Amino acid sequence: MSKISVKNVSYVYSPGTTYRTDALTNVTAEFESGKITGLIGHTGSGKSTLVQLLNGLLKPSEGEVLLDGRNIWENPKEIGKIRFRVGLVMQYPEYQLFEETVRKDIAFGPHNMGMSEEQIEKNIEKIAKIVGLDELSLDKSPFDLSGGQKRRAAIAGVMAMEPEVLVLDEPAAGLDPEGRRAIFSAISDYREKTEATVIIVSHSMEDMADFCDNIIVMANSKVFMSGTRDEVFSRSSELTSIGLDIPEITRLMMKLKEKGVAADTGAYTVKSAAESLIKLFEV
Amino acid sequence: MKSVAMGQYYAAESPIHRLDARTKVVLAILYIVLSFVCTNVLSFALLLVSGIFVILMSCVPIKIVLRALKPIIIIIIITAFINIFMTTGESLLFEWKFIKIYKEGLFNAAFMAVRIIIMIIGASIFLTYTTTPIDLTDAIERLLLPLKKIRVPVHEFAMMMTIALRFIPTLVDETDKIMSAQKARGVDFESGGLIKKAKALIPILIPLFVSSFRRADELATAMESRCYHGGNGRTKMTVTHLRAADLFAFFLMTALGASIVIFNILNIGYTM
Amino acid sequence: MNPFIEVENLSFVYEDESDKIPALHNVNLKINAGEYVAVIGRNGSGKSTFAKLLNMIHEPSCGKIIVDGCDITDKNISDEELFDIRRRVGMVFQNPDNQLVATIVEDDVAFGPENLGLPSDEIRRRVDGALKTVGMENFSRHEPARLSGGQKQRIAIAGIIAMLPECIIFDESTAMLDPIGRRDIVSMMEKLNREMGITVITITHYMNEAVRADRVIVFNNGEVVADGTPDEIYSNKKLITDAGLDLPQCAALAQELRKNGIELDGACITPDKCAEAILRALSKKEVRDE
Repeated sequence: MSKISVKNVSYVYSPGTTYRTDALTNVTAEFESGKITGLIGHTGSGKSTLVQLLNGLLKPSEGEVLLDGRNIWENPKEIGKIRFRVGLVMQYPEYQLFEETVRKDIAFGPHNMGMSEEQIEKNIEKIAKIVGLDELSLDKSPFDLSGGQKRRAAIAGVMAMEPEVLVLDEPAAGLDPEGRRAIFSAISDYREKTEATVIIVSHSMEDMADFCDNIIVMANSKVFMSGTRDEVFSRSSELTSIGLDIPEITRLMMKLKEKGVAADTGAYTVKSAAESLIKLFEV
Repeated sequence: MKSVAMGQYYAAESPIHRLDARTKVVLAILYIVLSFVCTNVLSFALLLVSGIFVILMSCVPIKIVLRALKPIIIIIIITAFINIFMTTGESLLFEWKFIKIYKEGLFNAAFMAVRIIIMIIGASIFLTYTTTPIDLTDAIERLLLPLKKIRVPVHEFAMMMTIALRFIPTLVDETDKIMSAQKARGVDFESGGLIKKAKALIPILIPLFVSSFRRADELATAMESRCYHGGNGRTKMTVTHLRAADLFAFFLMTALGASIVIFNILNIGYTM
Repeated sequence: MNPFIEVENLSFVYEDESDKIPALHNVNLKINAGEYVAVIGRNGSGKSTFAKLLNMIHEPSCGKIIVDGCDITDKNISDEELFDIRRRVGMVFQNPDNQLVATIVEDDVAFGPENLGLPSDEIRRRVDGALKTVGMENFSRHEPARLSGGQKQRIAIAGIIAMLPECIIFDESTAMLDPIGRRDIVSMMEKLNREMGITVITITHYMNEAVRADRVIVFNNGEVVADGTPDEIYSNKKLITDAGLDLPQCAALAQELRKNGIELDGACITPDKCAEAILRALSKKEVRDE
């Protein structure tokens, strides 16, 4: 079942001017409840616009955004409430940190929601554990944290609002491998503990392969392909045809297949590729 | 929001665009000064007509030039009103209770209005519409170069201007992004009283300051590693030289000035 | 032959208001002219500090850096010598927005040569040439603000090339780019090195960028923990994980296959190399089976 979906949505930037750009054209997509959906595509494919439509930062030029089956723009005055239910973590979210301490910064969103002090305290405790920030760093100034910690603190600020849908735009951009792993394990952990629906925008096919249940591929303001992880990666050659990266391991398997080896080109993790190849050697 | 930043320059290939930026700065100043020299209807008319002639030559649509006048229409109207009601003269046209309107008042109001319009046209047609900000900065730097002798940091000012111009779009973008991010955390910019609205700016301004300082720091490092060491010993890729067209433009402006002075002396039409 | 860059016992300590954080400890390295070197390590491993020392943006706490025979850490170095070093060792930074100075692309590329005090026609020639090298000659009159991240980064590279450097350091220059921009910049690095003979030092944590270099230097906790060819470095799983980095998927796969008794010869760090090794192993097996 889909928790949140878009139906025939179009979005136009600066309509009626020479700068007019169609960011999305008649897009229909569903995000499965309680699952992690990956959103992938080139810069300018419309994925960042889609993400901002989901929590009502942008209003669709045409079509509707449905949360639990109801149009989020049904009552435009209530759009603020939608933004609490659909939490959005923008790109490089550490640039939004501003409070004196990390604790206060995480509490900023929940305060705006009108959450009780008690509840806020409890949430901070819980979320800090999920993102891996200890007591000591909670009382530091956010500007004194390391790059990876800052990113996690900013994500915690959205998680603490306990959104039913958590949307993250390039959550690991620019981080080193350890930083990436920390971010993704925090996201998986949050999903497990809250059963939230998660949507991740990323450029990295390897991240998609490791963390997402479903994948939606965007190209030229439209949905190019969507399905489960297995379904999407079994069509790797189509992904490369629009210039997207595919996991290295898939590229290797495709290369072997070209040479006449019966390699499973649907393999996208080291484990599944190893299993497929070991079988070849056992025959 | 984005059009505010650089939207003034109107790209076109025209004789006015091709003039040296320094020439245009000087012409704009002369043109504005001439509007104060004018004392009668004919000299004003001549100045206005030549202004329109320059607009036509610049290929900038009149509509766009008029747009520059929009923000100051209120000022023009207020100045005109003050002139109408406050000027006293000899020929009374209208009287009602304490309000007296003289013919002189009407003319003065018209002159002031035209003067302001001429100032705006002069500045916009010679400078903002036909000269890129960077050329303008360069021109001002070169025109002010003599001031360096009295230790005015001319180069530094010009560099600051250039960097400011370069970063306006970047910072506008960044403000947009931070605003969206804070909106997603429940900041409400639209409703509430003045104090609430001012408070809502804090989560925007602090991140913006922090990031501007970081940018400044990184930019300084990058400039240093590209051998920047102030204006001394620095050369320029494009060194513009005054051409025949520039000299001709100066000649025309001088001729215009001379005609206006002659008209003033001849006292044709109504005189201030 | 003398090395182009020679680093001796280099240490660097960041001085904060309250404490001193050692960022580099006793680093010794030699980099030859024309090499293509990747410097990898986790955040805070000292790799970026190292880069910033190489053209004296930071001053080392102790130790020496000798660039082409000139000791740039010498306290008595003249401004002229320092500018000459900065010209010869150019640097491209991480954030494409924060290294462009001018509002027009070609003016930005001209910024370095203008600082060098070159004659106008020479600057013009170099700017046109540099823009052509990075494939941005059609954008010379554009505003940088309207370009993509990868394009901005190419302009930054052109700005360095116009100063005719012998070495370019890329300080995580691909970290903020999308895959297309990243591919662009990496192939630009290869072109600069292979076709123009410029020494390239790239600081990165993307392994698929590092595998394309001739040599990989691994930093961890402010020290050089390994220095070798990509094959050597990326075949060493323990080294890579200890340094907080990722093993390329193919290397991990090779490891897995070897664990299962499949003999693969050579390093398997890229899909191409790995595929070849697997094919060789398969044909060997066929021979055995017969």
